[in-house]
Amino acid sequence: MPSFDPTKSKLVYQLTFGGSWPKAVAFLGDGQRLAAGNQFGQIYVWNLPAAPPAGAKPGGKDRMAPNLPPVRRLEGHVNEISQLAATPDGKLLISTSYDHSVRVWRTDGPAAGKAEAFLDGSTRQKAPGKQAAKTPEPSEGVMVETQTASDILAGHANWIFALGLSADGTRAITGDTSSNVIVWDIPGRKPIAKWAGYPWAWIVSASLAPDGQTALVSEYAYKRDDFDIPPPALKLWDVATATEKLDILKVQFPKLDPKIRTYGSSQAWRKFVADGLITTAFSPDGKLIAAGQGGETDTGKVHLFDAANGKLVRTISGHRYGVTSLLFSSDGKHLVSGGRDTQVRICQVADGKEVAVLNTPRGGQFKDWLSALAISPDQKRLAAADIAGIVHVWEFA
Amino acid sequence: MDQPDARARAGDRGNTMPPICNPTAHLSRRALMKGTLAAAGGVVMNWGGLTGTALGEEAKKERKHCILLWMNGGASQFETFDMKPGRPTGGPYRPISTNVNGIQICELMPKMAKQMDKVAVIRSMRTSQVDHPGGIYLMHTGYQPRGNIRYPEMGAVVAKYQGLGDSDLPNFVKISSNGDAGAGFLGPKYQPFGIGAEGGLPPFSTSQKPELDEKRRNDLRSFVDSQFVETSRSEVAKMHRESYEAARRLQKARQAFNIDAEWAKSKDLYGDSEFGRRCLMARRLVETGVAFVEVGQSSYDSHADNASWHRGLVPPMEHAWAGLLEDLKQRGLLDTTLVVWTGEIGRTPTINNRAGRDHYVRCWSTALAGCGIKGGQTYGESDENGAEVKTNPVTEGDFFATVYSALGINPKKENYAGIRPVPLANFGSNPVKELLD
Repeated sequence: MPSFDPTKSKLVYQLTFGGSWPKAVAFLGDGQRLAAGNQFGQIYVWNLPAAPPAGAKPGGKDRMAPNLPPVRRLEGHVNEISQLAATPDGKLLISTSYDHSVRVWRTDGPAAGKAEAFLDGSTRQKAPGKQAAKTPEPSEGVMVETQTASDILAGHANWIFALGLSADGTRAITGDTSSNVIVWDIPGRKPIAKWAGYPWAWIVSASLAPDGQTALVSEYAYKRDDFDIPPPALKLWDVATATEKLDILKVQFPKLDPKIRTYGSSQAWRKFVADGLITTAFSPDGKLIAAGQGGETDTGKVHLFDAANGKLVRTISGHRYGVTSLLFSSDGKHLVSGGRDTQVRICQVADGKEVAVLNTPRGGQFKDWLSALAISPDQKRLAAADIAGIVHVWEFA
Repeated sequence: MDQPDARARAGDRGNTMPPICNPTAHLSRRALMKGTLAAAGGVVMNWGGLTGTALGEEAKKERKHCILLWMNGGASQFETFDMKPGRPTGGPYRPISTNVNGIQICELMPKMAKQMDKVAVIRSMRTSQVDHPGGIYLMHTGYQPRGNIRYPEMGAVVAKYQGLGDSDLPNFVKISSNGDAGAGFLGPKYQPFGIGAEGGLPPFSTSQKPELDEKRRNDLRSFVDSQFVETSRSEVAKMHRESYEAARRLQKARQAFNIDAEWAKSKDLYGDSEFGRRCLMARRLVETGVAFVEVGQSSYDSHADNASWHRGLVPPMEHAWAGLLEDLKQRGLLDTTLVVWTGEIGRTPTINNRAGRDHYVRCWSTALAGCGIKGGQTYGESDENGAEVKTNPVTEGDFFATVYSALGINPKKENYAGIRPVPLANFGSNPVKELLD
């Protein structure tokens, strides 16, 4: 089982991403191919050699590691990329988007053509104030191959927020902002289970247990009016029957009732959930569940639950603001989380102790979140997408 | 009221009546006044007696009404009426077509998309107060806040010029909304009557006594007040008297505020939300003759997570708004009811690093429908990024002039703040003729 030493890391790349917000990242097979998607629906792929090529320079004056141009652009989505996930063998990349579609890309698929890509985001980043920046003069473009998706999986009718894969990559789960969940058979490219959460709720995160038989779905409803704030949900579902197995929040708050929307009732869960448990994961052995608080909460906590009974094992806090992404290391010993405090925090699962913090905040409060994380299957590289328009890549010893 | 002085005065005038007030009644009245003043911001609401005559009914029909849908905090024009798809300022939502050829609005508003033939959107608002307190004041009064003049809100103006003087219902009602300029220099008679978020009446509005007892108490109070007023021209006493009369008349009209039965039938039309209920209440109040109803929704101040906030707030709002327009039309009320949609500010073209939009008043959107308005159009344009007005800027004064004109109220009409004449819409403002029918 590959492992890594989180205390020994080195920033090896900072990939500039087009003056837009990269919102999703995934390693393709190993730590030397990386995909990242932005809010315009573009997915770029980079080849990242073991060592940066000689002469490779940082992409801007505030950068500390070399930038490399992408080699390919995956085209087809027309709205924000919300999630990326690659099968363990690296052969398939699955993307979800606000354009309501799930797309499957063959990572060794043929190029459809070539295009010029403009990836210098530094001009946009310098535009201060509340007025829209003038459209910057494009920097010299980079020629990239283009590719279209091998399959488009239809079934959602609203923004897709959530994506999770089983350990073997044969099943995927997706969830949208109309509270619909679909579990897919990836080899067959077809849905095998569907269900809906609470009306008005968004599916903000969904994960599959390693064996793909159990799903974890996190629901959260953003405010509709002064008082119309339905409670959230964090539930385990049986995929085969599409039925609820365990209401994890109910385990914590036995009196929680979705129909009750009083202030007092909401206070019971709001501190626990904050602005939604927007990122979730199963531990590699399937015994633990992690769920991170999102939004601008003043302490971004990650709750660890026993997957068998929903009981809270411990809460790990450390992020100054909401968590945006989390994952377990493949040996299950570490929990890696990224947040709105622009930092990656690595904690020990056994005792919650924080052992490493990556990334230096570049400004004051609310400065450039980390929006997504990915770790290579060999555990040697960690990528973090940053809404400043950068994808950071660290290497562990 | 000072009981011993009242009796003394009564005695001074040779009045040999025994004491006519008992402490319990006084305490009840003080509690009523305190509750009334608390609810009405310290001044008295406007009431009138409800007439049941055919002439009264006819007068109500000819009068115009206004419903202000107040988007507190400032709804984003980019997530409602002035989309910039594909631009850096565009955000994640996509436009949808409407029932007016050439007009597209945000995908969050599918029901309003079918009502756009009734709606005129102003995409070129350019106003002058960028923060909430100033903006709320500005977009309620049409004037900048000034220390020496208390400008009246739109509702107070409409209450004065279109209100029914003889109604048991107030002429200016606010349902869960903002703004505390009130009646300003128009006087306490035009103060708004506020009801809560779910349409509930203040507790002091209910008398626990049998009607005959209440009448006798009122006769007694009236008599004492009439004695007092001869020796005192106190504004507070006047407020007290009017407040009491108003509260009494409200007893007869309470049923207008009870929408539970109608809600059961109208829930689908207005959408099952609190804002939907408020809009139904507004329609009902307008139908019974109330001149101006303001309905609030809060809060659109999306400095963070702008897309999520609007996805949460806009759908119930637009469902209710579309239902309101449809309901007014079906009841033959839309031609005499102006529906105004606005907040105090717009939102920035640039999305900040909290995924939010901040305050912006250089170029934003409002909308008008119904009485006096030529629907099915957009007025004014913003530039490609929504940063600046490209054509036909509309100031707050022009906006108010347009609203008043649509309601048959001359925006240049002057009232007096002390000895100072003040037009309803600011000097130099002009109604936007293209919007008027």
